[in-house]
Amino acid sequence: MHRHHRAAALAATVLTGALLATGCSSSSGGKKSEETANGASAGKATTPRMTVALVTHQAPGDTFWDTVRKGAEAAAAKDNIKLIYSADPNAGNQANLVQNAIDQKVDGIAVTLAKPDAMKSVLAKAEQAGIPVTGLNAGLSQWKSLGLLEYFGQDETVAGEAFGKKLNDIGAKHAVCVVQEQGNIALTQRCDGVKKTFSGKTDVLYVNGTDMPSVKSTITAKLSADKSIDEVVTLAAPIALTATQSVSDAGSKAKVATFDLNKDLIKAIQENSIQFAVDQQPYLQGYLAVDALWLYKNNGNYSGGGEQPVLTGPAFVDKSNVDKVAAFAAKGTR
Amino acid sequence: MTTNETGTHGAVLADRAPEKDSPVVELRNAGKAYGNIRALHGVSLTVHPGQVTCVLGDNGAGKSTLIKIISGLHQHTEGEFLVDGEPVRFSTPREALDKGIATVYQDLAVVPLMPVWRNFFLGSEMTKGPWPLRRLDIERMKKTADHELREMGIVLDDLEQPIGTLSGGQRQCVAIARAVYFGARVLILDEPTAALGVKQSGVVLKYVAAARDRGLGVIFITHNPHHAYMVGDHFSVLRLGTMELSAERSQITLEELTNHMAGGAELAALKHELSQVRGVDVEELPEEADLTAPVAVTKEAAS
Amino acid sequence: MTQHAEPAVTSPPAPGLKDTDGRSAERSMIVRLLARPDVGVFLGAVAVYVFFLIAAPPVRDASSMANILYQSSTLGIVTVPVALLMIGGEFDLSAGVGVITSALTASMTAYQLSMNVWVGVIAALIASLAIGFFNGWMVVKTGLPSFLVTLGSFLILQGVNLAVTKLVTGNVATDDISTMDGFDQAKKVFASSFDIGGVQVKITVFWWLLFAAIATWVLLRTKYGNWIFAVGGNRESARAVGVPVAFTKISLFMLVGVGAWFVGMHQLFSFNTVQSGEGVGIELIYISGAVIGGCLLTGGAGSAIGPVFGAFMFGMVQQGIVYAGWNPDWFKAFLGVMLLGAVLINLWVQRTATRR
Repeated sequence: MHRHHRAAALAATVLTGALLATGCSSSSGGKKSEETANGASAGKATTPRMTVALVTHQAPGDTFWDTVRKGAEAAAAKDNIKLIYSADPNAGNQANLVQNAIDQKVDGIAVTLAKPDAMKSVLAKAEQAGIPVTGLNAGLSQWKSLGLLEYFGQDETVAGEAFGKKLNDIGAKHAVCVVQEQGNIALTQRCDGVKKTFSGKTDVLYVNGTDMPSVKSTITAKLSADKSIDEVVTLAAPIALTATQSVSDAGSKAKVATFDLNKDLIKAIQENSIQFAVDQQPYLQGYLAVDALWLYKNNGNYSGGGEQPVLTGPAFVDKSNVDKVAAFAAKGTR
Repeated sequence: MTTNETGTHGAVLADRAPEKDSPVVELRNAGKAYGNIRALHGVSLTVHPGQVTCVLGDNGAGKSTLIKIISGLHQHTEGEFLVDGEPVRFSTPREALDKGIATVYQDLAVVPLMPVWRNFFLGSEMTKGPWPLRRLDIERMKKTADHELREMGIVLDDLEQPIGTLSGGQRQCVAIARAVYFGARVLILDEPTAALGVKQSGVVLKYVAAARDRGLGVIFITHNPHHAYMVGDHFSVLRLGTMELSAERSQITLEELTNHMAGGAELAALKHELSQVRGVDVEELPEEADLTAPVAVTKEAAS
Repeated sequence: MTQHAEPAVTSPPAPGLKDTDGRSAERSMIVRLLARPDVGVFLGAVAVYVFFLIAAPPVRDASSMANILYQSSTLGIVTVPVALLMIGGEFDLSAGVGVITSALTASMTAYQLSMNVWVGVIAALIASLAIGFFNGWMVVKTGLPSFLVTLGSFLILQGVNLAVTKLVTGNVATDDISTMDGFDQAKKVFASSFDIGGVQVKITVFWWLLFAAIATWVLLRTKYGNWIFAVGGNRESARAVGVPVAFTKISLFMLVGVGAWFVGMHQLFSFNTVQSGEGVGIELIYISGAVIGGCLLTGGAGSAIGPVFGAFMFGMVQQGIVYAGWNPDWFKAFLGVMLLGAVLINLWVQRTATRR
């Protein structure tokens, strides 16, 4: 038993070595064929070095937040800012991260308000310490009352409503809204928005977003259980791509449309397997939230005059404008 | 292809008939020190095939150290340890097993949820077929286990039943039968009757006798002189790491053995003390003179 | 009082006089069958299936069954080795993220080095085996509970998945490898479908059943299987009779690695890219699948076929609720009830098995 085991392991090692040695390289795809392009950076400000903390409620490994962060980093690079990024999906921990930034005496804080009440006291401390705070992505209805300078984001309900209207325009009759994280407020608002304006019927379907095969078969099950569904609405790009497989597995005629973007999704729009995507422009959110702190410090500006939020979405990406977006998405910045 | 594997214990010793008088295992003034603590000192012991050597002693008398030396878990630090007349020094229990010395520990014997036959062959399974398809020869194992158990006089309804469903005594017996089958010449039984009731103890003693009658040398560790006297041919009593008594069956009575176990000389001293206390009846306690059975007094032990 | 005679106890009477010890009456076939843990879960699975046949008409379609089996198979392929590991007395909490680690390794190796995807597939297998070896080696060498050791590697892998992906690709998901050499071939092995009577059945279903069959054979018919039961049932006894405990445990952890690798490859070749944050929480589904399937949490008892039904029950309930059109909010509650029921059956089994 021992011996055979070792022999098998040895064989595997030798095989790998042989494969590598003989240059078993791929002639298509792969890193070599990827076009390397640098992120958007146009010159650099000569203002004094400042430090900004960006604290979000990102769950680990979310492509969306990765784009937010890239936007923030681009702004930081341009404005001669040292950016400290930290994130925790747990509201209490996120508040601690903000406290941490205050303790580090940063020059500005950009924060998401996924659970505003948990952030209230720590934001008051920031105000006492004289640190300007901008909001982004989540907290549309509370940013003002919590004393934030300005807010950059998408109104999820407004985006959902716009989505619903678009569905009306393309003539959908029965939609299913796929929620990948049960109990997430923003996702629920999107579905509610769709339901509000969409004139057809809207079902909600919960899937387990951390297990793709499960997502795939659950959507398949829904589509074969109810053949009248002609539109799958997903709330994140990877889920949308999986939904297209479910549609073909179930032999359904449903179309797929989604919130949020990534580069594979753009390819899918170009190839017609996904109808359209609603982009809230996460890159823009990250970029503006950091850039605004620079503007405030160096010129006293603030967008929206402290009264109105700055809406970064909804921006529709479909066949008509996808090519324009595609170039940027390839870099992971859209 | 059929392989007749009985594991690393070596082949089944179908034919074992060494002369009765040459000891299989012998300790000569052996001892063991852990650092500067002497756990065992000046112990001489012989184990003959077809005889039961009982080692008695209270807790902490050095019984387990003695077992550990013979079973290969620990090494002796003084004296000699001979197997078949050759000096040996085991570094693992495996080496002891290879010499035919098997130990049946009280709780280490079996895996309760596994069937009797799987337990019987655990670690030395019989297989058949070439490698990728080499598989257990279940038929043969069951048949052999059944046969061997019957040889020992153990009859079970169903070898498929988990061994945990057997009584404590039966489990000991299966472990003994197993050791016998896998070529043990010397069987070390560590307190096999300690946790058992009267009836169960009787069952185990029966199989100790059965093992003896099959020509095995048995080292029977116990603190119960009654159990020891029922099967023993030779008795050694350990106290505080040294040998207090070493007697053939013909040289000692159960009563004397019991007294030795109960404390021997110490008991006499205790009797003397108790006699000073009013209300304690010491008449029935044995006198010191009663306790002078042939005591093994080696030169070193006397010092 | 003198007893200088021969020892009082003589050897037992000549053997072969009676056929049984007459202590227990022959138990009826049904009782004996019911005492098998995999029969309990089999009946449970049948009950759930019949229930949804009635409650959810779409389940009656063969294609729906194919879909349910697909979902079950992606869980079941890892549940089978996880079950063996549990019978061997250990846990693996890192299996869920291990799936993603494997997929990421394959994808990034192939893409970054512009190699044939099979190179990535083999690299991923080596990585998965290494993780399994590490888990097993730590458990055996330190004697720490595997719960703690694999909780550690679960967290480590979660972090490594993210950090390395970010470092290598600049994103938190890997690049699409669907145009690379060998992809179509690998997809055939790991993520294709078969046509059975007009119904598309995913290949993972076949692999799942095949692996479960092999595992059953190994468990019940080989030395190694005997050792698995022994190291889980009583590690010290097993060691005392010469079972290679360290080898058995470490290899079991490595088998879980193989299962995770297989599902990782399936995910990679069916979705083309991998999100580095996935896989968290799935490890508990694998473990519950094994427990529902009759594997004892404390080790030493269970089967490889029970977890097949355990995984099927998961898939059936998860999809059944959707087919029935119910509020899926109840899904977790259903799972909880199933799990508790399974644990109670296990408890009962253990008591019956050890009752005298």
